[in-house]
Amino acid sequence: MTSDVIEQNAAGRGSATGADDALKIDFCGMAFATPLVLLSGCVGFGDEYTRIEGFTHASVGAVCLKGTTGSARLGNRPHRVAETPMGMLNAIGLQNPGARYVVDHILPGLDFTSTRFIANVSGSTVEEYREVTQIFDDSPIDAIEINISCPNVKEGGVAFGNDPDMSARVVEACRGATKKPIITKLSPNQTDIAHNARRCIEAGTDGFAVINTLMGMAIDAETRRTIIGNNQGGLSGPAIKPVALLKVHQVYQVAKAHNIPIIGQGGVTNAEDALEFLIAGASAVGVGTALFYDPLVCDEINRGVSAYLTRHGFNNVSELTGTLTLNG
Amino acid sequence: MRRPLSIMRASPSEGWIELLYRVVGEGTALLSRKARGEQVNLIGPIGVPFRIDESRTLPLLIGGGVGVPPMVFLADAMRQSHKQLEPLVLMGSETPFPFRARPSQIMVSGIPGDVIAAMPLLEDWGIASRLASQQGYAGCHEGYVTDLARLWLEGLDGDALGKVSIFACGPEPMLAAVARLARDHDLPCQVSLEEYMACGVGGCAGCAVPIRTAEGVAMKRVCVDGPVFPAEAVFPG
Repeated sequence: MTSDVIEQNAAGRGSATGADDALKIDFCGMAFATPLVLLSGCVGFGDEYTRIEGFTHASVGAVCLKGTTGSARLGNRPHRVAETPMGMLNAIGLQNPGARYVVDHILPGLDFTSTRFIANVSGSTVEEYREVTQIFDDSPIDAIEINISCPNVKEGGVAFGNDPDMSARVVEACRGATKKPIITKLSPNQTDIAHNARRCIEAGTDGFAVINTLMGMAIDAETRRTIIGNNQGGLSGPAIKPVALLKVHQVYQVAKAHNIPIIGQGGVTNAEDALEFLIAGASAVGVGTALFYDPLVCDEINRGVSAYLTRHGFNNVSELTGTLTLNG
Repeated sequence: MRRPLSIMRASPSEGWIELLYRVVGEGTALLSRKARGEQVNLIGPIGVPFRIDESRTLPLLIGGGVGVPPMVFLADAMRQSHKQLEPLVLMGSETPFPFRARPSQIMVSGIPGDVIAAMPLLEDWGIASRLASQQGYAGCHEGYVTDLARLWLEGLDGDALGKVSIFACGPEPMLAAVARLARDHDLPCQVSLEEYMACGVGGCAGCAVPIRTAEGVAMKRVCVDGPVFPAEAVFPG
């Protein structure tokens, strides 16, 4: 069937990278072939991008699967995405077939030798987070990422991640349900991300993903209506990179003393962006929205990071983490 | 972000595809300024195509606006690989058609005699086509393309009607009207949908739309589960 094989104009590009030892890192005890991580929500349940000729999971250290809840969710009405200046809004609404289905029917189809697969755990209640984590605990999944940006339906619909107490309760509940590495995905939509990070460390997180999307809105002036079906959505793409860099820097100030590593993410589109996140304090770098216009972008980022390491005399990419010099 | 575009013609043996698009924004403006020999980056082909039932020898292809090019593609596929079919292509547009219409030499019973404007490319292939618009373009049916389709269907006898199947692409109100038309005449109908897309490979679920299935409503991705769906699954009665 021709539609199963998608050809990508790859003129002048080599095959996948990933064999470079200088790019190999340890993240929460997991061996990553490169510091790159494909972000949750951008790459489905791990299989979809393999339709693209030239794409391979070997280019990245890990793949975060789509946000998964206790039972199946249909997600939001259209439109779910809209392009905005230097970025895009999305409000997918956690469409997923439920954790049990993912573990029983999707994970068995994934090639766990090609990369590390990380589950993204979501819920409407603390109990749901715990239950989903428990389901993934009894599976071959390599780690659990907690999406704490979901609305807390029992307490007024405020996102768990916007409040340090609620964040800590979610992390604590998940911690009690698994021994696998837990990565907490912090929201930028809060006053003091460093304080929240501190509480999550106390609650037992092993790592952080910084940042989730920034909430935004797009309006069609002609019709005077919102473009996104859900009215509001999460902003991603290069537009949010400066915000993300600051948040990574702030979380790193708290996390470094505890050896808690960070996946820095938000608008990464090339090697220079990735390097900036590493310098700001990230140990790994997430790539999401950039895949939408260049599915092979990770190979290019790997090559650029490798070249930088050689040029600056670093033996391994981990030596770059947190090497930022602030102005006195 | 990439934009989903339909293909108007393709030659696998010669290795080319032809796109027909209107310049509406920055992306299409940039595309229109590409010179011969320049490269463009695309992902494709994506999605599930129209399914052709060869026992239904009178396919009715309805394209509106952006839905015109895929109907040309489908007519071309029928011409090349399903020679026993006798397609009729009806097109609607409220902006000038992207070709110079010419009076058709192919008679179609049931179509009013003054509706003679046809697409030259289809005409050259020996495929009957007619145009509709509310803008009063010469030789076009004045009204909706679905009204013209209804006129044609109502002119068919029961035997001929049983050989019709409908294929449509265009704006949602047009597709809804096509679905009604198919339901009224108890005809199989497939519609090709448009939605904002991000990844184009099924990874982001950004283009999902509600589709009725045997198990109830499901959110299906237009990019890989579609864009073609049964009309009754998109527009239940």
